[in-house]
Amino acid sequence: MDIEVAEERNDEVLVLLPVGRLDSGNARSFESVVMDHVSSGERRLVVDFSRLDFISSSGMRVLLIAAKALKAGEGTLVLCSMKNHIEEVFRISGFDRIIPIKESREAALAASS
Amino acid sequence: MADELDVTIPARLSEVRELSGMVEAFGDANGLPDPKVFVINLALDELITNTVTHGLEDKADAEIRIRMQVDGGTLILVMEDNGQPFDPTQDTNADVTSSLEERAIGGLGLHLVKSFADRITYEFVGGRNRLTMEHDLARAAE
Repeated sequence: MDIEVAEERNDEVLVLLPVGRLDSGNARSFESVVMDHVSSGERRLVVDFSRLDFISSSGMRVLLIAAKALKAGEGTLVLCSMKNHIEEVFRISGFDRIIPIKESREAALAASS
Repeated sequence: MADELDVTIPARLSEVRELSGMVEAFGDANGLPDPKVFVINLALDELITNTVTHGLEDKADAEIRIRMQVDGGTLILVMEDNGQPFDPTQDTNADVTSSLEERAIGGLGLHLVKSFADRITYEFVGGRNRLTMEHDLARAAE
């Protein structure tokens, strides 16, 4: 199952907007989208959660893989615009301490520059 | 289906999406708050992923039965499968504290299931794994 991921560019920063659900059924598809960008040399990624309603650990795993790969290459991954229930999952997982989470797209872009 | 959800699905990841729609309908019918519906669907995604990935050993007739009901102020979710015996309540704690470089990839799903449930018990009965999770509904309204 493929996930819809909108993409927007802001100078050096590529913003990805996954739409709907990011779950065990489509996490592999999301991993391909994200890691293809990392492999092709993107160094500053923002994942904007404003259009995402659901995430499970299968989807979070992809973000962890991407954050590790980007950090190893002196890049950055910043997340933003999470709904409260999703942000709580990131907090319980301790992801908020290893991947920056910003309230707004603007703040995420500022943190990426 | 207002009072109880009782559904048996083939043990496949592709079933999770349709199941989530049934849980949402159950939540609407029972006036459950959206955050509670979210954590139930999160738990089902994690547990079904776990069963399908680790517990089946190519069992062709593998199936998962899910029952949900609201009893007083408690939401009770029972999940049964006929896979290998596995007690998720005994799973070792996930790594949620180490640095980005050191952080283990995986193992998070059951941590989330346990974190959100108020009570969780496991039994192996009649050749089936049975996991019972209780969620107090008052807590979601806080």
